[in-house]
Order: sequence, then structure tokens, then C-alpha cells
Amino acid sequence: MKKYDVIIIGAGIAGMTAGIYAVRAGKSVLVLESTVQGGQIINTLNIENWPGDLGISGADLSQKIYAQATKLGVQFEFEEVVAIKDATGPAAAFPPFSSSSMGVPQAASPVGSFNGFIIQTDEAEYACQNVILAVGTEPRKLSEKQAKDAGKRPISYCATCDGALYKGKPVVVVGSGNTAKHEMKYLENIASKVYHIHHDDPIPEDAEAVFVAIGRVPNTEFLKGFVDLDSQGYIIAGEDCKTSREGVFAIGDCRTKSVRQLVTAASDGATAVSAL
Amino acid sequence: MELLDFYADWCGPCQMLKPTLEEFEKAHPEIKVKRVNIDEEEDLASQYRVSSIPCLVVLKDGKEVAREVGVMPLKKLEKLVAKAGE
Repeated sequence: MKKYDVIIIGAGIAGMTAGIYAVRAGKSVLVLESTVQGGQIINTLNIENWPGDLGISGADLSQKIYAQATKLGVQFEFEEVVAIKDATGPAAAFPPFSSSSMGVPQAASPVGSFNGFIIQTDEAEYACQNVILAVGTEPRKLSEKQAKDAGKRPISYCATCDGALYKGKPVVVVGSGNTAKHEMKYLENIASKVYHIHHDDPIPEDAEAVFVAIGRVPNTEFLKGFVDLDSQGYIIAGEDCKTSREGVFAIGDCRTKSVRQLVTAASDGATAVSAL
Repeated sequence: MELLDFYADWCGPCQMLKPTLEEFEKAHPEIKVKRVNIDEEEDLASQYRVSSIPCLVVLKDGKEVAREVGVMPLKKLEKLVAKAGE
């Protein structure tokens, strides 16, 4: 089994920045990512609030940071994490998918006794001393009722990705926040009609595609019982990024915090590494 | 076997998939990868009922045997194609 000082789960901006800081601090670092580097930002066409670039695409920014991290010695494996356990603990060190464990303090290892962690992916197992969770968020899915209502019609969580496929056709946007407003504005230039409904409304019959913008949820289902989560599923950790479990840090959008931006994600990456 | 890659220039995830597809092409020269720009080839996109991109369609003897929407790592792409070829 390969061993690392630090394993980072998630190759978004937070995770890749943590990787850069950790290798520069002399650590051996593996970043595990289930899809592609960059995280949520790859869907953004033009970023204007990342210092150093007035107008860069999320895809280009992600590739730049990835190239930088790789060059500095960060290793990446594109595998999906299925379980994390204490290196010394039994095979199932924590009960996964138990909603009752949410927010309840778990039997974390006593301070000073932890021997690191074993991370199991769909391909392999890795050992490490510290884990940095940078798992990000994903779009909140359509309610069961509305999904049923949508039937076989395509459901999209990204108007800038899929909008152009509905040129001159009626579509509907579900949601009431800022993202929904942006999606509507974007689609108004493409679609023949843009309906706007809320998360309880029936889906208009003639809409050919359903664009969903009803917020985001953290990708923390697999961490229930391993670290404390808040009622929304965010990993409870302060500005020092320390979680309820010794040796485990949470950074970026998956952490309880008030500002979720590229720069605060990057900032968490540096903070967590300095606390290792 | 053939792999259709439905993409658009303005689609970020499609750009992220590009290097993966290039790697795939190098490792599997026996499989033809055809890139389909949905803005230029609208007919082909609607013929294959592409509703979300990036969309990869695997063809065997010209017939669709698998499809996957969204960006994915090389290992997953190889598994998708290998399974479809069985």
C-alpha cells in the first residue's frame, strides 16, 4: 500500500492549493479526485474575481493550477473514495450513511493516539498521516415530485453547459435564488420561452428541458459518523480548518463558513497545511 | 468501435475532457474518436438526442452501445468503452 504524509480528497481550487502548500512544506502528497481537477469552477466561462487574471475561464484556471501542482510534485489519482478508516481501527471504523449520527459527537480517537488513516478508493487503498477533505458541493437535486413531473424530459444543472441545445425551444428554470436568475437571463437569449417556477410548482407541459438551480449540497454523505457535520451536511470546522477528528481537516466549500469563493477556498488550503 | 464526443467550445467541462480524450486516442488507436461540435453539427446532435454535454456515445458496428454524460477520468472512460465492446 502506498503511503503519503497527506492525502487530499477533492481536486478543486481548495484541494489543489493545499497540495501546492503541502509539497512546498516538504510533505508527500496525493490528491484523489473522482472526475476531473477544478471542481465547480469548470462550469464558469469567465472569472473576474481571481487576482491576477481579469477574465479567465474556469477550465483554463483549473488546468493552470493543476500544471503548477503537478510540476511541484503533487501526485494525483483519478479515483473515487469509497471509505476512510483509522489505520488502527476495525475495517468499518465508522458507520456510513447513518443519518442519526449527524451532528452527534463521535468516538474520535483519543488525542495523541491516532496512527493515520487508510483511504479506500474504487481502485486501490492508500495510507496517510493526515487527511484533508476538500470534497466540495454538488447541485441540489430536483424534488421527487418534480422529477416525476419532468418525466423523460432532460434535467440540467448548468444552463451555460446545456442551454444551447434548446435554441428556439421553451424551457423552464426551477429555483428562486441568484443562480436561478442568472440561468434565466442566460436562457432568455436562446430559448423561445423561459418559464420560471419554484421548487414546489408543477412543471409546465410544453417545457422541453428543466434547468434546476435550487442551491447546492455538500458531498459529505460518505463522511457521516467520521467527522461531525452540521444539519445541512457541511463539515463542522472553524477558520483553522480542524474537524472533530484529530488529523482530519476540512477546506473549501464543504466546510462550515460564511464566504464560499475561489479565494477563500485557496486560503483554506494554505491554512490547513500550516496546521498539519 | 467508434467514440462520438459531443462538445461545444463554450462548454468548460468539455474542455476539461479534451486532454483525457487525447490520451485515450493515443492509448487506443483501434478506436476511432470523432469530435462533434454541436453548434456546427446540430443535426447529428439531435439525431443522437444529445440533451447535455459533454456527451460520449460509444458505437459498435455503427450502433450505439453505451453513452455517458459529463466529464470523467481516463480510467472510467476506458472501462466504459471496454464494457460496451463486450
